[in-house]
Amino acid sequence: MTPPLRPIVDGLTRQRGVRASLVVSEHDGLVIESSLRFGQDGDRVAALAASMYRKARLSAAAACLGAVAFLQLDADRGRICAVGGRNDLVIVVVAEPGANVGLIRVELFKALEMLA
Amino acid sequence: MADDVRRWSDELARDPNSLVFLELGETLRRQRLLDVAHKIALRGLERHPQNADAHDLIARIAVDRGDLQTARERWATVLQLVPGHAGALKGMGYLSFQEGRLTEAEQYLSHVAATDGGGDDRVTSALATVRRTSMSLPAVPEPPANAAGAETASESLPHDPQCLFADLLVDDAQTALLLDAGGYVLGGIYLDGDGADVSSDVGAQLSGITDEVRRAMRHLDIGEWRSITFETQVAVVAMAPSADASLVVVAASRATPLGLVRRLLERCGRRASAWLERGGAE
Repeated sequence: MTPPLRPIVDGLTRQRGVRASLVVSEHDGLVIESSLRFGQDGDRVAALAASMYRKARLSAAAACLGAVAFLQLDADRGRICAVGGRNDLVIVVVAEPGANVGLIRVELFKALEMLA
Repeated sequence: MADDVRRWSDELARDPNSLVFLELGETLRRQRLLDVAHKIALRGLERHPQNADAHDLIARIAVDRGDLQTARERWATVLQLVPGHAGALKGMGYLSFQEGRLTEAEQYLSHVAATDGGGDDRVTSALATVRRTSMSLPAVPEPPANAAGAETASESLPHDPQCLFADLLVDDAQTALLLDAGGYVLGGIYLDGDGADVSSDVGAQLSGITDEVRRAMRHLDIGEWRSITFETQVAVVAMAPSADASLVVVAASRATPLGLVRRLLERCGRRASAWLERGGAE
């Protein structure tokens, strides 16, 4: 049985510096559940993050590096972190540039366990 | 062991104020029963909030759960209560090493070694590892505004493109590549487990990620991308854009702390910029 996803994304969004968290289908980039701060476009983030994660997974596999567990993208005005590997689901967090990414990573893996 | 757990549990049931929760919690932690161990430790701490060993126990459980932030907070509390607490110093040393703060890690571990007279082999071994890593990663000052130029002036750049990053890599499991905008290798080398040069294949595959990243950046409104890091089953890979639309790729074994990989990426990025500015292999 699939666990309720709402508490998972809400828990992630409560982390300091997190603007949005989403559970996304890696296959089609559609939002399955999301928790967004004001001003975030969930559909757009979901589609692009899922696409990036998928590309990273395929490229890493092609380079014989094995499955991708965690992905972090740093940009001038924000960060995107993602974990995946459970039933086509990817959990995505959009955070401020100064957010504690170590903590976010830990919380993402905990959330992934909850999806198992 | 099961008898001990039962005996301690009974004792705790009889006397909830008993300090036996420390032994019980630690034993359960070693048996990987982390949730139960955490509950026992928290209950004990409620009754003994000034007990440094109780905070230490929670910190060790937090590390096992991957919650390094909590571990750091707890060990900081331990050191406030008992400055010089060996368990907390070892723990802080471990956390600092994991986060790539090698000087700090060495300070903590040196403190423990000095306190116990160098009698703990594990501390001696950990200290040697930290020092070895520190020596392999010589201190580099923060990059000035014209970082590439400054680095060119301060070091001689390798002429063999394959050796571009050789002196920056800490061990055999680390590798670095400089790729051009089309995914072709400009410098560095990527060897597989059998020692074969797979730079071109790996470079071409990984450079494809950046096309996806650039596309995403145009729509996400978070500015220009600075780096991308991902952990796979066998490696940690980090990439960053460099001069002339090139790309620096660093890979290390999965056991390498993320902080160290990112530090290595910065160093390789500076080296690549300087090298390209000089005109590459000329």
